[in-house]
Amino acid sequence: MSQDSEQPRAIEEPPSPTRGRRSYTGLLRYLGRRLVLTVVLLIGITLVTFTLTNLVPGDPVAAAVGQSAADDPAIVERFRKEFGLDKPLYAQYFGYLGRLIHGDLGTSWQTRNPVVEDLGKAIPATMEIALSAITMALILGLVLGSVAAHRRGLISDQVIRLISLLGISVPTFWTAILFFSIFYYRLGIAPGSGRLSPGASAPPRVTGMYTIDSLIAGDMRTFVDAAAHLVLPTGVLTLFTVGLLTRFSRMALLEVLDKDFVRAAHAKGLPTRSIFFKYVLRAAAVPILTMVGLAFGSLLSGTVLVESIFAWPGLGSYAYKAASQLDLLAVMGVGLFVGVVYLTINLLIDIAYGFIDPRVKVGS
Amino acid sequence: MFRRSLAVFSALAVAAFTFAGCAQPTPEETTTPEGPNTEQIVIDTTFDIATIDPGREYEPTGQIVVKALYDTLLSFADDDTTKVVPDLAGYVANDDLTEYTFSLVGERLFSDGTPLTADDVVFSLNRMIGMKGNPSFLLDGVTIEKVDDQTIKMTTEEPSPALPAVLATPSAGILNSKVVKENGGTTDETDGAEKYLNANSAGSGPYVLESLDVASSAVLVKNEKYNGPQDPTYDKVILRNVEPATQKMNVERGDAQIAMGLSGDQVAALDKTVNVASTPSATVVFLFLNQNPEINEWTAKPECVAAVKKALDYDSLLELAGLGASQATGVIPSGFLGALPKEEALKFDLAAGTKGAEDCGMAGQTIKLGFPNDIDPAGTSLTTVAQRVQQQLATAGIVVELAPAPFATEIDAYRDGKAHMGLWYWNPDYMDPANYLAFGPGQKVGLRAGWTAEMNAPIGEKVAAGYTTGDLDARKTLFEEWGRAMNAESPFIPLIQPGSNVAHQASVTNVYYNPTWLINVAGLGAA
Repeated sequence: MSQDSEQPRAIEEPPSPTRGRRSYTGLLRYLGRRLVLTVVLLIGITLVTFTLTNLVPGDPVAAAVGQSAADDPAIVERFRKEFGLDKPLYAQYFGYLGRLIHGDLGTSWQTRNPVVEDLGKAIPATMEIALSAITMALILGLVLGSVAAHRRGLISDQVIRLISLLGISVPTFWTAILFFSIFYYRLGIAPGSGRLSPGASAPPRVTGMYTIDSLIAGDMRTFVDAAAHLVLPTGVLTLFTVGLLTRFSRMALLEVLDKDFVRAAHAKGLPTRSIFFKYVLRAAAVPILTMVGLAFGSLLSGTVLVESIFAWPGLGSYAYKAASQLDLLAVMGVGLFVGVVYLTINLLIDIAYGFIDPRVKVGS
Repeated sequence: MFRRSLAVFSALAVAAFTFAGCAQPTPEETTTPEGPNTEQIVIDTTFDIATIDPGREYEPTGQIVVKALYDTLLSFADDDTTKVVPDLAGYVANDDLTEYTFSLVGERLFSDGTPLTADDVVFSLNRMIGMKGNPSFLLDGVTIEKVDDQTIKMTTEEPSPALPAVLATPSAGILNSKVVKENGGTTDETDGAEKYLNANSAGSGPYVLESLDVASSAVLVKNEKYNGPQDPTYDKVILRNVEPATQKMNVERGDAQIAMGLSGDQVAALDKTVNVASTPSATVVFLFLNQNPEINEWTAKPECVAAVKKALDYDSLLELAGLGASQATGVIPSGFLGALPKEEALKFDLAAGTKGAEDCGMAGQTIKLGFPNDIDPAGTSLTTVAQRVQQQLATAGIVVELAPAPFATEIDAYRDGKAHMGLWYWNPDYMDPANYLAFGPGQKVGLRAGWTAEMNAPIGEKVAAGYTTGDLDARKTLFEEWGRAMNAESPFIPLIQPGSNVAHQASVTNVYYNPTWLINVAGLGAA
């Protein structure tokens, strides 16, 4: 179950003629409650981020303008005025909230761009590798987890468990360096760093994800280039996530395989494939889906080292640079985005439960 | 099923790498059989660009870009930073160096074809001062006025021998005032042209801006209207933001032609096919002991400072800095007027250091050493230097407790003069030894070490003279004397002058490191 979301309630309710309409109303009421809770949580995130960033000992002005300029009172005053740091903390915070309502996250002092604009560039870059990685990891994790569960205790199970343990245990930055060194540097079968080859132009922006945008523009050359650059970072993140999902899928499937209804299905002589896809996988889907959601959230917010090695200008790099330069508004912007991601994923998963598991019904 | 899974996994991996391999251009594809490829050059560096508006930018990577886009009144020839040379203008100064008259050389054109005039110079430099952006302090106290379309006069409140060097920094680049004004440019804090200038260039330099993403890359293309003295070789220059470990592999593979952020260790491990242009940087890594007895009574004692100076093994510290590094002979690094010769550098004498520490009472005391642990000035890790300082001083009986913090945090304690002992670095703001007078008693850096003006009046007098003396020979003598006095009596201990290493493929020629703008992309050649 998702960690910080409201628990959908499992209710055994007898069928009734009005069930469909009541469920729909209940779902809307549930979504309304979740929306209110989301807003409260997001305000909480801004408050915590703002407080923590201001508690860090250090002067953001000195970090931003450099050693020499920081000693010139006129420069410091101009900087404080430009970024609102001359106001009391409470005024800075409420001013931020006021602008937030209008979708204004302020201006980053490390890039001099509106934070919304920076996030608009960084998020699709990270989203592109995160989506590729989670898709690959889900497919492979389910397949390997299923094999391991079916062959519990056999050599193939042991091998898969060992591989998945390695995937989780090996730090992603190490895998990234290893992959880059072997496949790009030594073998030359993968392209180098960045999202595109040097000199290649980005496709006209629609989603910000180069593979999709180049397809939309019908530019196959750029698509191939962008997709090729995705291979290594995606591979690194897939390796980590697939280890996680394999172990989790195996555990969830094993739990279901021992249930009476599975034994009964076998006893009735149903084909193994039908039992697996119609009963076992569906029953195990709820915990697996939860883990997929959390893993995806983690991929969006925790790829800083992989981005760094592959020179991928994504959210992780942006967040790291913002934090190291005490770029308050950029840090808060990233914090808000990550908060929205986790809350949205949890909400979607909770709603999906209702469709996957007939015992679960939201609302009422 | 297991076999099928393995087959699926293997097929996916093979497909992915086959696809990636087919998609990428090989390095060979970037050369032509007729001769060197001058279509484009790729330079990998670690970005710190915040802006490329000349009046506001003050970060090393920004200087590379701005140098290529904007001309300055004066400049330096390649890596010789001891003498300014005319670029847009030549100059004459009055005897007491308070009045400089600049005459524009020929008719230089902006990238839109309009001629550069004195109005553009006056607007650009007044804008730099009036906006109060990061580099505005460089022209504090300078008044700029137009004499006629080709002549500009600058006056300063105090004699200013360093002004020509200041005007050679890319931040003092000259903008097309008409274009900038049309896009919100003013000469005060209301200026709104930065956004325009981060997406377009408005200069007379050898390149124009094609695109900039401060997180990933800057792309420059030849300025077709350029009529200055340089002859740029490459049609397109691509600067990429790449971490050093990746830079090394990129330049070895040939995907990048130049790598600018490699540490000494990485340079030493470079493939033999890659050339390295190695020169001393203008950075000085130094240690200081706080002279404020309220901060620490032991570091404040001159005898203890002398003991620490003797207890450090400078050659051993130098091992940590890699190729091109040398012992800093004083706070003024080599390459500057007034730098001390090697034989006048501080010397290691463990016995004297140990005895000195014992005599002054510092032995056995715990001294906190503050330093930024997320900055490697010119590729030298301050963390490893601090660790070795700790070991060396332990040998002399001084207990050093390392107190690292990220730059943004540690700089507060440093600037407020609260650190017992600090390990820091200094990069010059402009190429004149006057820049290093900040280390004097009562000066900016001196006060960070709790060293007030009254603590050493004789050195303070030399500082005052250093800011105003114009005669070249007199300046040289003065700065040398000041450097000797600083080595003997100041709380600063110059340790390392790291090397600047630019790794480049053999196909790239004329690679010069210049501390002001790091690398002049318009000066690069092709073999």
